[in-house]
Amino acid sequence: MNPKADISTPSYTLNCRMSQEAAALERLCQVVRIRGFRIARMAVESAGEHLDIALTLEGTRPIAMLQSQLEKLHTVAEVALEGSAAIRSRIA
Amino acid sequence: MNGAQHILEAFHRHNISTVFGYPGGCIMPLYDALVDDVGVEHVLCRHEQGCALAADGYARASGKLGVCIATSGPGATNLITGVANAHRDSIPMLVITGQVPSGLIGTDAFQETDVLGMTLGIVKHSYLIGDADSLPAIMEEAIELAQSGRPGPVWIDIPKDLLLTDVADTPFPKPEPQHTGCPDLAEALAMLRAARKPLLYSGGGISLGHAEDSFRTFAETSALPAVVTLKGIGNPGKHSPYNLGMLGMHGSRAANKAVDECDLLLVIGARLDDRATGNLAGFAPNAKMIHIDADAAEINKLRPADLAIRGDLNETLEALTGALKDKPLAISDWQKQCRTWHTTGGFQAADNDDPMAPITGPAFIRQLSRIAPDDTVIACDVGQHQMWVAQHYEFDHPRHHLTSGGLGTMGFGLPAAIGAQFADRNGTVINVTGDGSFMMNAQELATIRRYNLPVKLIVMDNQCLGMVRQQQELFYNNRESQINLDDNPDFVAMARAFDIPALHIERTDQIRRGIETILAFNGPMLLHVAISREENVWPIVKPGASNREMIDETRRTSPANKEHVA
Repeated sequence: MNPKADISTPSYTLNCRMSQEAAALERLCQVVRIRGFRIARMAVESAGEHLDIALTLEGTRPIAMLQSQLEKLHTVAEVALEGSAAIRSRIA
Repeated sequence: MNGAQHILEAFHRHNISTVFGYPGGCIMPLYDALVDDVGVEHVLCRHEQGCALAADGYARASGKLGVCIATSGPGATNLITGVANAHRDSIPMLVITGQVPSGLIGTDAFQETDVLGMTLGIVKHSYLIGDADSLPAIMEEAIELAQSGRPGPVWIDIPKDLLLTDVADTPFPKPEPQHTGCPDLAEALAMLRAARKPLLYSGGGISLGHAEDSFRTFAETSALPAVVTLKGIGNPGKHSPYNLGMLGMHGSRAANKAVDECDLLLVIGARLDDRATGNLAGFAPNAKMIHIDADAAEINKLRPADLAIRGDLNETLEALTGALKDKPLAISDWQKQCRTWHTTGGFQAADNDDPMAPITGPAFIRQLSRIAPDDTVIACDVGQHQMWVAQHYEFDHPRHHLTSGGLGTMGFGLPAAIGAQFADRNGTVINVTGDGSFMMNAQELATIRRYNLPVKLIVMDNQCLGMVRQQQELFYNNRESQINLDDNPDFVAMARAFDIPALHIERTDQIRRGIETILAFNGPMLLHVAISREENVWPIVKPGASNREMIDETRRTSPANKEHVA
């Protein structure tokens, strides 16, 4: 799928918490890209041993598919779609 | 104890007795520690890709963790195809590579590559060790992670200096194994009882969940007609009257027909791969779907499930079996219909009555299946021979069939056979390969010789890349492009150069004797089987088409087949 966005491409905001570790953000961004989404905006804050990441994403695939793939990442503790509850928490 | 010694100590603690590797500069401290370690057998392959694929084959055949080791830079990059192969097929694997010393990372040092960065997409998880004291906890976590949930490769990259640094002897937290338990199955049972044409669809997840026995019991008790994916072959066993075999692109007419007609699909440990489903729009069009899988991300990924179940596979299957034991499903008409389809539309390979006739792939594999012992492990490569094995060899256990399903890695079979032979030194292991695949890791013949592994090698040689040629014939107006391999080396002479005896056959009357000769030989032996260049794998579904649009030999000239396929 071409992740290039156009005017009709749906947009989502995901909030992620993941462990601070080498290549943490690369790992997250790699999954976003390969699953067919484009990062329109990304804000990262360091919170102790965690990173809090707010992602504004554009893509035509179901966002739930990306959520479940991000949740699989070993160091991702939480993924929440803005406007809905966090769908899972895990101790990283 | 330094970092290198700690790694070996962790191997001992986790009963890791066999590892596959290749030394080099930055991993030398680990190899130095190996000199004093008699508890770990290190298998020296001849290429790092061979190491990774041998570790993969070891894991598939044994159900244990496969371990491979390499140095930085080219050692690590050479591992990549093998690790990607394990990732795509969810094989439990631990990968350990040396990295340039900590202070040199990012300086373009000799044999430096960004291993962590370049492997993110082919691992379940990966680590770059930043300080020696973190190593013990990471080793524990990595070994647990590789084998738990949906298994996969976990890669640890360790700077050389940290392999030489003393590791603090402090207790570290041990990861708790996750237990998902058994979900409520009332709705699943209600759907099964309401269905008139329920079909069992299983894949590699059965073995990954170590649930082969409970699956077989469930299949027998439920008496559901069953289809399998490429990785599910061996389930529910060759004696099951309800086993319709493999579905999909090269599946049987019976299996694809059953999927097309069923009204309920019970999918267990399968991910609805495109090679199995064909065009999803036409897949099981009349069926509701129950999807049972260990990986939540597979649920609803490609087709919405009417009911999704995530739980311990053994407990789930045992609970389903218990519920069906006293009150069987009333599906006798459907069972009878599926058996009829299997009789008329199962895989068929006629034995040729003419002893002088050229050997055909399906007939050879049928003979091999009849002659080889029941517990033989077949390690395939990728191509036409792989599909003939999937179609015509009758497996009775999924761990007897080693095949590169997701990645489709040519060159997989020979090193995978080496790994399988290390998993069972006295077992019968056969690498069935093609002339294209064989040349991709032929250097591992030296590994077979070095360890005197009794691996049998069967090279089905059609002097071309047969699967590509077939698709060019059928879907690209027979415009052959770069598939010719008629300048192959003399494979018999090549094997002998590695001190491996070999023989050549080309006629139907030579098949039995050829197979019996290599099986009886006490050591490795190669059988070179000349087959026709023009032979195709039938049936076939055009990539992107629906499984109901299967093409067999009688329909090969249909104009519809000549459309360009993207």
